Amino acid sequence: MLSADFVIATAIAYVGLLFVLAYFGDRRAKANKRSWLNSPAVYTLSISVYCTSWTFYGAVGNAARSGLEFLTIYLGPTIVFVGWYFLLRRLVRISHLYRITSVADLLSSRFGKSSRLGVLVTCIAVIGIAPYIALQLKAVTSSIQAVAGSSEFGQGSLKGIDDVGLALGVAAGMALFTILFGTRHVDAKEQHHGVVAAIAFEAVVKLTALVAVGVFVVFIGGGFEGIFSQAAAKGIVMDTSTSFDSRWLTTLALSIAAIVCLPRQFQVTVVENSDENHLRIAGWAFPAYMLLMSIFILPIAIYGLTVMPEGSNPDMFALTLPLAAGQNGLALFAFIGGFSSATSMIILESIALSIMVSNHIIMPLVLRFSPPQYGDGQGVSRVLLVARRFSIMLILSLGFFYFFFTRDSDALAPIGLISFTAIAQFFPALLAAIFWKDASLKAVSMAILLGFVFWAWCCFLPSFDSVSPAVSQLLLEGPWGISWLRPEAMFGLEGWDPLAHAAFWSLSVNILTLTLGSLITTPSALERIQATAFVDVFRRPNLPQRNFLPGSATANDLYFVAERVLGEQRAAALFESAARDSGVDPIGFEPTPEFVGRLERELAGSIGAASAHVMLSKVVAGSDVSLEEMMQMADETQQVIVYSQELEKTSAELRTTAQKLEDANAQLRELDSQKDEFLSQVSHEVRTPMTSIRSFSEILLDGHSLDDTQRQRFVSTIHQESLRLTKLLDEILDLSALERGERNWQSQPVDADAALDRALSVCDALLRQKGMRVDHGDRAGPTMVEGDPDRLCQVFINLISNAVKYNDAAEPVVRITSALRSGNFVVEVADNGPGISKGERKLIFEKFSRGQRGAIDQAGAGLGLAISRQIVKRMKGTLDLAPSPLPGACFRLRLPVIRG
Amino acid sequence: MPDRRKIVGGMFLLTTAGLLLLVPPLVHLFNHDFTVLGVPQIVFYLFGVWLALIVGTGVLTSRLSPERPANGEEGEG
Repeated sequence: MLSADFVIATAIAYVGLLFVLAYFGDRRAKANKRSWLNSPAVYTLSISVYCTSWTFYGAVGNAARSGLEFLTIYLGPTIVFVGWYFLLRRLVRISHLYRITSVADLLSSRFGKSSRLGVLVTCIAVIGIAPYIALQLKAVTSSIQAVAGSSEFGQGSLKGIDDVGLALGVAAGMALFTILFGTRHVDAKEQHHGVVAAIAFEAVVKLTALVAVGVFVVFIGGGFEGIFSQAAAKGIVMDTSTSFDSRWLTTLALSIAAIVCLPRQFQVTVVENSDENHLRIAGWAFPAYMLLMSIFILPIAIYGLTVMPEGSNPDMFALTLPLAAGQNGLALFAFIGGFSSATSMIILESIALSIMVSNHIIMPLVLRFSPPQYGDGQGVSRVLLVARRFSIMLILSLGFFYFFFTRDSDALAPIGLISFTAIAQFFPALLAAIFWKDASLKAVSMAILLGFVFWAWCCFLPSFDSVSPAVSQLLLEGPWGISWLRPEAMFGLEGWDPLAHAAFWSLSVNILTLTLGSLITTPSALERIQATAFVDVFRRPNLPQRNFLPGSATANDLYFVAERVLGEQRAAALFESAARDSGVDPIGFEPTPEFVGRLERELAGSIGAASAHVMLSKVVAGSDVSLEEMMQMADETQQVIVYSQELEKTSAELRTTAQKLEDANAQLRELDSQKDEFLSQVSHEVRTPMTSIRSFSEILLDGHSLDDTQRQRFVSTIHQESLRLTKLLDEILDLSALERGERNWQSQPVDADAALDRALSVCDALLRQKGMRVDHGDRAGPTMVEGDPDRLCQVFINLISNAVKYNDAAEPVVRITSALRSGNFVVEVADNGPGISKGERKLIFEKFSRGQRGAIDQAGAGLGLAISRQIVKRMKGTLDLAPSPLPGACFRLRLPVIRG
Repeated sequence: MPDRRKIVGGMFLLTTAGLLLLVPPLVHLFNHDFTVLGVPQIVFYLFGVWLALIVGTGVLTSRLSPERPANGEEGEG
């Protein structure tokens, strides 16, 4: 049997367990950065801090009262996470790059590092969240009362303590716990690994608890079908015909905004995110978590309505159903589950809010009014911690007061929706901040402020209806009897659901002001810089930000600032690493603008962008005014610079192309002239034999007086000349056939070295005739290559005969070597002739090209080398000029050796 | 790997389709007074869309190659 004391003791023990978890989580995270704390699973579970006691208790009550509406609270976030690629990924990227610590920091940083906007957003968040905290207090109080009320041991030590006292106790306990938990140190990126670990653990506890209750209910209720049919028999029918009205749309829209803008959601989803890729898992896993959470809510609600006595609180069904069935263990588990969901929300929400309050309200005040105190080593982090502790107390007090004033309203869910509507006022600004460059500070501030005013009037004020007669009077008649200003019927818009009404007016005014205002105002230079940085975060390479002019701050000044905020250790480490990077001694370190930019981001990670900017501009001279001018120019000239760089690149490319074309053209021209020359040569060559053939044949035709010897001589001359002609024509045909690849071509393994020997013996006569000495170098020995043996021999003959023909040295020498080099058979034919001049080297392998000296006394057609090269090419080898060991030319032939 | 832009397009379609399927008028198509296994049709429909969105996101994300993390300046304590 459960007594109130036992339940409270369990709760305290549970909190102690959480504390231990958080402590070890922190130690583990410090010891090892890549621990399981960094896993996507923990990340996803921590996001489910979204499911508070509103889900655990309130959703059941909501389902019992208004059917399916509770689902929208989870369907909205599902949409956001399904589309994680478009919104959340962008937010996470921006926040990582610019060390964003909260929604207020994001907006203030984006809109020109404005402290005022930060203050406005923070104030609205603190006020707007108060009802939400009150909801948790109320849920915990009611759950303790529900357990104690059913206990046969009576109230125990709770005797004489009413709801208010209990809630005060819970609030005080939570405040103490949160302070111990979340404000032990100030972190670089405001990441609280220990807290996140505890939150993830709580996520598992609350899910298991709710599922356990759900399974139990379905079990005793006889399955889903049984529950619904029992309810129908009792006349409880879920009426869904009016479910999908304006209220459905409103709650869906509000929950979409809330999952992004709620301070604690922004904290866990964006700030605590350690790896962008965790979103890939959270994108489907978090919706799945919510689906599991919601699946049993409807059965619990309907079964509760069916079996519980008339007038029992539907919010507490998850607790009272097991109690009524005598399942005390399950009831205690359910209580711990509900308690989990409340504590995780309160802890994270107040940590997130306290960061906002200390960074955007207290820090700027401290910076403005306190003289800098150097040298205490702790820096402002101590001030920050104290500020955060007070903020936590303030936030919980506000929550408690709201609870105190509205304690008579019984349902949980409507209270939460009041907070959602307040927080939704940030959503248009947030979207504009990351998608719309033209959104301006003035417009955004005005939009949020007006939206907040409408919220306060149409949503917040009416929630005091039941406790204040003045408020109910106001609701009925409007202020000073002005009926079109009635909070729930603004401008005569009557008959609407109050929530839809309030959300419609506040958000419409908000969006309209934002868009219209941005169109008619001009953003400042710093705003424009930030706008480009945020909106184009995926487009441009992330250049280091330089918001200050170089050379205007000394390392000492900057060090004092850094020490004040970051503490001695981290400041020293930062400066030392910067000095190391720039390769100088830490003493002689000169701060660069990049370093100042980096320092600003580091500071922003601790005290918010606006405060960091203010702090640095105090010590960095020549900051804002000249900076703005400079940036204005930079903003416009940057595009011109990028454009001109592109142009430069293009024109350089054009220049190289033109150069290549010119070279090609020169080569073509030279070839052309060579060809012309050759054609005339060929004509000449053809004409000379033709002339002698013609004249000799004419003589033979007329010649009656010729004797046989003469006749024989003339005929043999004609024969020789026609042979020459045929040979010339054969060569031309051979080359063109080779080039077109039409020739019969034998491809077989050939011993290349043997082919070389054969060529040498063929040329023997020629060599002797010229008196040329053959210098036999090293030989490779039998080597097989793939090709046509006769053709290969032809190439060698051509090379050797060239060496002979063009050699005019007194003691002509040809040197022939062959070798095996890296899988190739290499032959070199060198001579001591005149060599090949530089200008001819390119052309020597072209058709119709002949060495200049050769033109004088050589009758060849200048096709030999061209043919040789074609043959070698077909054998997959190369034929080139090589540096010669002798004074003359050297040709090198390379052929791939066949393996095996 | 399939074309990244197409997958992102698919994710956009999934997001907008999910939103459209959950609001009037489409949601009315499935809001008839009839029950499956004793549970109203609309409940099945809503949870069905929900489940489809989860599975769809999981499938699309798994086909999308992970990105390099953005931050070049990691590494402080």
